[in-house]
Amino acid sequence: MTQQTQDLVPEAAAAQVGALVATATGDVLRREWQRWAVAVGDRNPLWFDVEHARAQGYDDVVAPPLYLQYAVLGVTPLDTLRADGSSGAVSGDLAFPDAPRRMAGGESTTFHRYCGHGDVVTMERRVESIVQKQGRSGPFVLVTWRTTYTDQRDELVAEATTSMIARP
Amino acid sequence: MSTAVETEQLHLEDVAVGDELPDLEVVVDETQMFFFSAATYNGHRIHYDKEWARDREGYDDVLVQGPLQSALLARAVTDWIGGAGRLVSFSAQNRAVAFPGQPLTFGGRVTAVRVEDGRGLVDLEIAGRRGDDVLMPGSATVSLPLRRPAGGAGGAA
Repeated sequence: MTQQTQDLVPEAAAAQVGALVATATGDVLRREWQRWAVAVGDRNPLWFDVEHARAQGYDDVVAPPLYLQYAVLGVTPLDTLRADGSSGAVSGDLAFPDAPRRMAGGESTTFHRYCGHGDVVTMERRVESIVQKQGRSGPFVLVTWRTTYTDQRDELVAEATTSMIARP
Repeated sequence: MSTAVETEQLHLEDVAVGDELPDLEVVVDETQMFFFSAATYNGHRIHYDKEWARDREGYDDVLVQGPLQSALLARAVTDWIGGAGRLVSFSAQNRAVAFPGQPLTFGGRVTAVRVEDGRGLVDLEIAGRRGDDVLMPGSATVSLPLRRPAGGAGGAA
């Protein structure tokens, strides 16, 4: 049978392009970034050792830059998780019923400063694009988000572009 | 404690185009994956439920988290730049999946060295690899301290 290109992007998802799909505010907490860092095996003393951090001109230890995206994660009631156990909380809960297999695509972030314990970070995420593409192993959906992170003084601390791939 | 980052601070003048970062070699196991999912509040079954990964998503095993690979790639960079260096931008693409137990290598190469507004900046081409397979290509820009104060005689780059 001839395989027609099926449309994997439902109207409801396509309508969200350009929309602010997620905002979240969270505290940057030393213990949490240190848990993240040890899970990465990252023992950089900037994240752990206040004397080392002060010797480099920081007031205190700082958070690993890539940790920032996790500082704003809220809680998700377990009965609202998707069947695959993932949460739609930070992606605007875009649904692709015909492309349920999700994979992180990529990320590109500019860091204006490192955050420290007690910083309060606000994330705003917008859907930049939703495009269906044809890959070697078949069609897939590429979703791109544009995200800003600002601190308690309304100063921009980071800007990110992230993407996700959803496959049938 | 002694780690690579407690060695002498890298300065912009120490760096030239074509220089390679020291490779970071890691074999991710399921314990590390569990802690990383916990630390990132990630409930995605594909990282801990082997039956789900095999029967529902068609993989041979659970998958190493893409963000863990990114974090390891960033670690290779922040280990290299030392405490006085700073990660200015970081970009990485998930090209292929990795399974626990596989030896992975994270590293990079200097593509540009410049001074901008008195700041030393280095551009890097970076990648996470499994053998010769590039799993995660990317790029990064870091700032490094100058030995000679900016505005002094001679261009550092």
